[in-house]
Amino acid sequence: MYLARIFNSLNISMQEHYMNELLELNEKTKEYGLVLTPQDVELMMAARNEVLHSYGRVELSIEVTKVLIEVFSASSFIQQENYADTLNELHEVFYDLKNETEDRISDMKLIHRMKEMFEEDCEGSLGLLKSKLEEYAEEFRRELQKNESLSLLEGEEDDWDLKN
Amino acid sequence: MGSEKLNNGRDLTVQDGIRKSRLERNQYTISLMNEGLRAGLLKSREMISIQNTFMQILQELIKKYTRGESTSVTTETAESLLASIMYASDAYLFSLEEPEKAITCLKTVDVRQIYERGVEKVSQCLEESKQLYKEITANKLEVPVDAYNMTIDESLPVFLRKYGIIFDAHNTMASIDYPLAVDDMRLQGVFYMKQYLERLKLETEFCAIFDQRELLDLLVHYGRECRLNYRIELFNIYELVLNNAIFSVLSGGDADEIRIFESQYQRLEQQFMSLTEPQIRSVIGGAMGKLQQELPIHPQLKEYMDRCKEELVQRVANAAKQNSLRAVIITERGARAKSIVIFFNEEDRMSDVELRRRLDEITACERKEDKVQLILSSFHSFHDLLDMLESDCLYGDEYDALFHAFGDMELAILAKIVFYEELRSESLDLPSILLLKNEYKMDWQMQFVRCLQGMSRERMQAAWKYMNEMDYEQMKFY
Repeated sequence: MYLARIFNSLNISMQEHYMNELLELNEKTKEYGLVLTPQDVELMMAARNEVLHSYGRVELSIEVTKVLIEVFSASSFIQQENYADTLNELHEVFYDLKNETEDRISDMKLIHRMKEMFEEDCEGSLGLLKSKLEEYAEEFRRELQKNESLSLLEGEEDDWDLKN
Repeated sequence: MGSEKLNNGRDLTVQDGIRKSRLERNQYTISLMNEGLRAGLLKSREMISIQNTFMQILQELIKKYTRGESTSVTTETAESLLASIMYASDAYLFSLEEPEKAITCLKTVDVRQIYERGVEKVSQCLEESKQLYKEITANKLEVPVDAYNMTIDESLPVFLRKYGIIFDAHNTMASIDYPLAVDDMRLQGVFYMKQYLERLKLETEFCAIFDQRELLDLLVHYGRECRLNYRIELFNIYELVLNNAIFSVLSGGDADEIRIFESQYQRLEQQFMSLTEPQIRSVIGGAMGKLQQELPIHPQLKEYMDRCKEELVQRVANAAKQNSLRAVIITERGARAKSIVIFFNEEDRMSDVELRRRLDEITACERKEDKVQLILSSFHSFHDLLDMLESDCLYGDEYDALFHAFGDMELAILAKIVFYEELRSESLDLPSILLLKNEYKMDWQMQFVRCLQGMSRERMQAAWKYMNEMDYEQMKFY
């Protein structure tokens, strides 16, 4: 937790830069009728830090937030009135999923999987998305465990022969 | 102030400068920075800049760790990666020897370079450890001591193969069971392992000086004297050998001898009982000196031997006070040589398939008498018998019937196994062990204890007699 605080303080100097980067995205999302005000962005960053803190994660950049905005703004299920709140929830869903899939899935793949489920299986319901992703993470961990025990059984490669 | 300076004089490297006693080997960089700040050698501005660079290195390492596929990691991962970075930095700064030099380095050299040089040091240490390991395997002692063999054959190679120089340098992930005579657990990661290997090599070199047949005998006598199965116990072989070589010199034997006969023991006992602790220290020191002169001992080994001296002095002084020198001076006792010789042939063991078939047959038997009969007629190896007992194929009074059908010798062998811990105390006999009402892990063991409790005094005495004449040495199956 101490480390998370150091990272955040390092990022303070970047805050303004981040704000601008996120506000610039409005140019792209405007075509879907979605816009964030500077206050929305400020609140979103505070909420994101809160989520990172409670899920015990250290974040290096703003990349995930940017991709979440870019990918989800295209959804017909998101309207301007619930835009900022939905983004805040999506941050929480994402970082929770990172933990639950034990950091084994890349950010991009996870975000696109979330979007796919959000559109197709859940028809824009965040509650449903959470429970579907819970099942997804469980299944992923089961597979992971299976593969790990298989590789244990097969024995590991010995690339360095000590006896030589 | 004045008296404090006097008392702590040795701690001061520069007056009012860095206090070495405040530096920690395991947190060298951090303790150095704190101490540098306190002593005014480092300004807080410099400290913040150094910390920031470490954080930037961490950011880059996290990217490497996630292979750029994730911009976030769990706090635990980040902390572990930071510990790995600091481990490398510690390695380099500590190698500069003088803390002032290290502080100057932190102030004048780019922290990234310090880190890179540290990584090189860690990597070099790993290579040296691998080399040491090869030397140890080439001269490994042929001794049936599980911890020694497993540590060398299994645990050390796993560590050397899996050690992560970049992401996991601070970690000492290894199940090293074999205890060294002198260990320093303050070190971590590969520096700990290198030190472990260096010491293990010295110990192995020393043991190899002596006749290996005598070394094996010494282990047997040690097990017998301390009433334990030396194969599975965690103890240091070198210490045993060194101590007996010292005792040999002290009782008129040669320096390259580790056998102590009863007459020598009597002499030593008489001698130690009449000496004070400083006198014991002096005679042991003298004998150690003689060993170092007469045996092919190089300076490093000599220094290591010297570090073991005080431990032996304390053990001898305590044992002399408590009249328990027999546990320290391992003696070849003639009378015990006539103990029972039991043969347990490996060839008598069944194949796994055959054992499984027998177990099925036993389970299929309906009457307990038939089960007992089947067991007595088809099991010829104690190893198989133990497998059978541990397979839980008997229930309740079937155990009782089986144990009653056993002879006193079989009961004695099982009792030696079940009461392994209790038997290490010389003061307990079989009836008093049974009174302890200890809990045992396995069902058959509990049933065995219950059955013994119900047996006549004569049977118990007969079994006890065998138990006393039996060594774990002969029970190689266990």
